[in-house]
Amino acid sequence: MNSMPWHKQAAALWKKDIRAEMRTRVATGSMGVFALSALLLIALSMLSVKGVEYRDALGRLKPAWDDAGKMALLWTLLCFAAFTGLAHPFVHEEESGTSLALRLYMSAEAVYAGKLLFNLTTLAAMMLVITPAYMLLTGMNTGRLILFFPIMIGGCFGLGSVATVVAALAAKAKSSGALFGAIGLPILVVFLILLMQAAHLCYAGNATPISIVKDVGGLVSFGVMIVALSAMLFHFIWDD
Amino acid sequence: MPAQTKSAAKLQGAWWKYTAGLLMAYVIYGAFAIAHGAIGFAEKGVAARVIFFHVPCAVLSSVAYFAGMCYAVRYLYSSHRKSLKDDWYSAAAMELGFLFCILCTLTGSIFAGIQWGSFWNWDPRETSIVIMLLLYASYLLLRTGLSRSPEKKARLSAVYTIVALVPAQFLIWVVPRILATMHPTTTLTDPRMTSITYKMVLYPSFAAFTLLFIWLMQLRVRSLRILALRKERALRRISEKY
Repeated sequence: MNSMPWHKQAAALWKKDIRAEMRTRVATGSMGVFALSALLLIALSMLSVKGVEYRDALGRLKPAWDDAGKMALLWTLLCFAAFTGLAHPFVHEEESGTSLALRLYMSAEAVYAGKLLFNLTTLAAMMLVITPAYMLLTGMNTGRLILFFPIMIGGCFGLGSVATVVAALAAKAKSSGALFGAIGLPILVVFLILLMQAAHLCYAGNATPISIVKDVGGLVSFGVMIVALSAMLFHFIWDD
Repeated sequence: MPAQTKSAAKLQGAWWKYTAGLLMAYVIYGAFAIAHGAIGFAEKGVAARVIFFHVPCAVLSSVAYFAGMCYAVRYLYSSHRKSLKDDWYSAAAMELGFLFCILCTLTGSIFAGIQWGSFWNWDPRETSIVIMLLLYASYLLLRTGLSRSPEKKARLSAVYTIVALVPAQFLIWVVPRILATMHPTTTLTDPRMTSITYKMVLYPSFAAFTLLFIWLMQLRVRSLRILALRKERALRRISEKY
């Protein structure tokens, strides 16, 4: 086993994965193409409701596709896009047979941290491209910027943490590609509910500090709990 | 007897199975003959009788998850040699959780159709139970994908059970509390919410369903043990042959 501290091992693995990704561009390419195609489809299919208004139960005029609804669709798109590419780091190690070398030279914690970092970097890069493009095409507003950024970062963290642990599990199974989405998306549905709840605050005029702490805190705590549990349990997945 | 099977094997003999059968018969009879139609419910209060079947199923679908998770933790962190029996108990609990989730969704949907005019209303609790159903389905799917080695299957499905505890916790405790729900939230905690005739049937109903759950779990573990033995014997036969 390598005598380097775990964080240095994780950083080395992250650098190795970034280099490998720059060479092949499988994960970023598949996620990017999926996200852009889905974005185009959403923008085209939602043309009919753009600018349409309806009366709610209290008789108030409301847009049929409001900013909160647009945000919900953006995160659904990001979730599905993430699930097309984030399994790649683990599946690639298993397919190319390099996982044995990693097991010999690195601790399980370092592998988990390195892969999580790589997935978070890939996700952040995808979000930086897709979110402005989505806002341009659909006319989504950011609402309150002071809430918009923490929600986007919290969302990226939660999505990345779920995708990493599920990818590690799915890579060990038969037909891992099909399983990755099937076992990961039900966990993400709960995360998306929390995310929508928090995203509403960006556009709600009457959001109180308590509701902000409760909803944004709920969102962040989901990701933190998944990371904590995954870090504790990763050696059971990794050590064969 | 190994230490890990002691807790589940405490209920020995046939007496508790007869009790479960009698209690279940009493609950079915009591739901229609003892409990009166409740005020404020459709069909002269008849719709409220679903509570005797729906609520125990909902509670057991959550309890099953915790039972499955406890056995998963026990499997992963047992200091001595890991026993597959813990995995069988965990898998049995999760399979039963899936079954009770389906029963809860069906009974709830029938009630919603009669009481609220639509079989599905996107109520947070309705959504929660369907996501819970999906979590159970994912667990079962993962086990199917890991069928090559029993130890690997046990280890990885135990990890999934523990990781999926986070969304399960949010579904059971957080989502119904942060979103407005049409479901009454104090039926079990506030004694004034139910009449004496309802209490006379509802509480035995919990006992009946819990005993049924334990019974089904024992049967499932026994069938998993037989399947494992058969597989082991078949492998031995093949290795002797070649």
